[in-house]
Amino acid sequence: MIKLSDVNYTYMSGGPFEKAAVKDINLELKTGQFVGIIGHTGSGKSTLIQLMAGLLKPDSGKISIDGQTLYGKATNMRKLRFQIGFVMQYPEYQLFEETVFQDIAFGPKNMGLSEEEIKRRVHFAAKLVGLDDEILGKSPFELSGGQKRRAAIAGVVAMEPKLLILDEPTAGLDPGGRDEILCKIRDMHRRLGITVVLVSHSMEDIASLADKIVVMNHGEIAMKGTPDEIFKNAARLKEMGLAVPQIAEVCMKLREAGLPIPEGIYTVSAAKAELEKILKAKEKR
Amino acid sequence: MLKDITLGQYFPGNSLIHRLDPRTKILCIILYITVIFCVKNFWGYGVLAAFTAICIISSKIPFGYVIKGVKPILIFVIFTALFNLFLTNGRVLWSWGFLKITYEGVRLAAFMVLRLFFLVLGTSLLTLTTSPIALTDGIEKLLSPFKKIGVPAHELAMMMTIALRFVPTLLEETEKIIKAQTARGADFESGNIINRAKAMIPILIPLFVSAFRRADDLAVAMECRCYRGGENRTRLKELKMTTADIWGWLFVTVLAVLVFTSNILL
Ligand SMILES: Nc1ncnc2c1ncn2[C@@H]1O[C@H](COP(=O)(O)OP(=O)(O)O)[C@@H](O)[C@H]1O
Ligand SMILES: [Mg+2]
Repeated sequence: MIKLSDVNYTYMSGGPFEKAAVKDINLELKTGQFVGIIGHTGSGKSTLIQLMAGLLKPDSGKISIDGQTLYGKATNMRKLRFQIGFVMQYPEYQLFEETVFQDIAFGPKNMGLSEEEIKRRVHFAAKLVGLDDEILGKSPFELSGGQKRRAAIAGVVAMEPKLLILDEPTAGLDPGGRDEILCKIRDMHRRLGITVVLVSHSMEDIASLADKIVVMNHGEIAMKGTPDEIFKNAARLKEMGLAVPQIAEVCMKLREAGLPIPEGIYTVSAAKAELEKILKAKEKR
Repeated sequence: MLKDITLGQYFPGNSLIHRLDPRTKILCIILYITVIFCVKNFWGYGVLAAFTAICIISSKIPFGYVIKGVKPILIFVIFTALFNLFLTNGRVLWSWGFLKITYEGVRLAAFMVLRLFFLVLGTSLLTLTTSPIALTDGIEKLLSPFKKIGVPAHELAMMMTIALRFVPTLLEETEKIIKAQTARGADFESGNIINRAKAMIPILIPLFVSAFRRADDLAVAMECRCYRGGENRTRLKELKMTTADIWGWLFVTVLAVLVFTSNILL
């Protein structure tokens, strides 16, 4: 469980470019939750998750993970970081080893695991993100963009963290690669039972994956709750320069046109089921 | 960390000093540095301090911010002072074993510290009040008379502009990569020197890869826009000297005259 209380962070404090990036954040995430974070560019999403991952030290306030306070006196930060997987935006920039295998093994090696365990984890992580064994022997710099991204994510997954944080993991990928990565993330969440925090620009992705949503606006939490609670507030989201998922918009228009579609439909599969129900009822008549 | 370095940073503003022509500022700084190394007594340093204070106040940059520029070289200043203090021969004031402090040593140490201090303050003030673009424009203009004897003024200025342009980008990138590798459990602090040097590899390789990629992209982008060096290129903003520059010149000349007369008279 992660708990943030009254967390503040300011970049370059004291200088002419001072920027309060997150302000008075209070947030509690439960173990095993899939949390989606949305907000327009510059709203403080990346800063917030870097604070959660212990990569930035809050100016004030407290962050704790499973009872251990980040940057607390009794906390071994390096040990604690092994339990937190952090996939930054454009993670392919972190690749540096001679082979993909060695690069994925970098994290587990730092943890001081045995050779066999490292091997097992590398193969497990590679399989989880969908990289073939033959790629493991190649140089990371000769892979395609999507493969690089997956290799970088595997490097984090191989540490088998209890908490996995991802910053826009699909940015800059084609639709095919995007869906595949999201599918793998959903798999990991289900199979390993870990807590996942996902930052994304795509309402569709968040709507179909997350069971809790946090909406950031100007460094503050504007809304938090289940997808139902969030997407009901279409007007408020619009105000913040965000949109509801397209399918939710379609359902709303259909409802206005007189079709009996219930509220709270924001995934394509749910909308499909409802529409089929309506069509069947029509056929019967 | 990296972001605490103010030396070489630009502090945007619209003060009198900000508006001076970069050529004026560069030449004045050269004269200022010459003066620093010619001062022979404490009266001279008094004049220098007053002059520097007036400049900082009129630049409207917080005093503490300018002083912060001295921090990175503090160790260097302290060592210089200690060497001069203990290793100068002359009238002995105090001695203990092989250590001795002389009157000349104290004087020399104080002078050295003051010189370095004013040197950093002056140059910080130049970079804090002049945008990198203006600075390189000024250098290009100042060097252009030497084109005839083969000094590639435009190319030098362009190289400087590009290098300055990429300093913040690379710093940002370094910080990002450090974060990513820290999250993967990289350890930069413990172990002996060799281990620590090895720990830099996961940072340096991605940094080089991305720097080369950026350089390549930039070269292509410049070529796409038909860049072909400085021949016949015109500019949007021509540098112009104003009355403010004349006052600037007068001010520095007065400083130089005061210091040199104090050297002779006192
Ligand atoms: N390294 C940094 N230095 C200075 N300011 C930063 C830095 N990173 C982010 N910021 C500023 O902090 C604010 C929040 O940024 P960020 O957390 O990256 O937002 P998001 O991820 O939601 O786009 C932005 O206004 C941004 O300009
Ligand atoms: Mg971001």
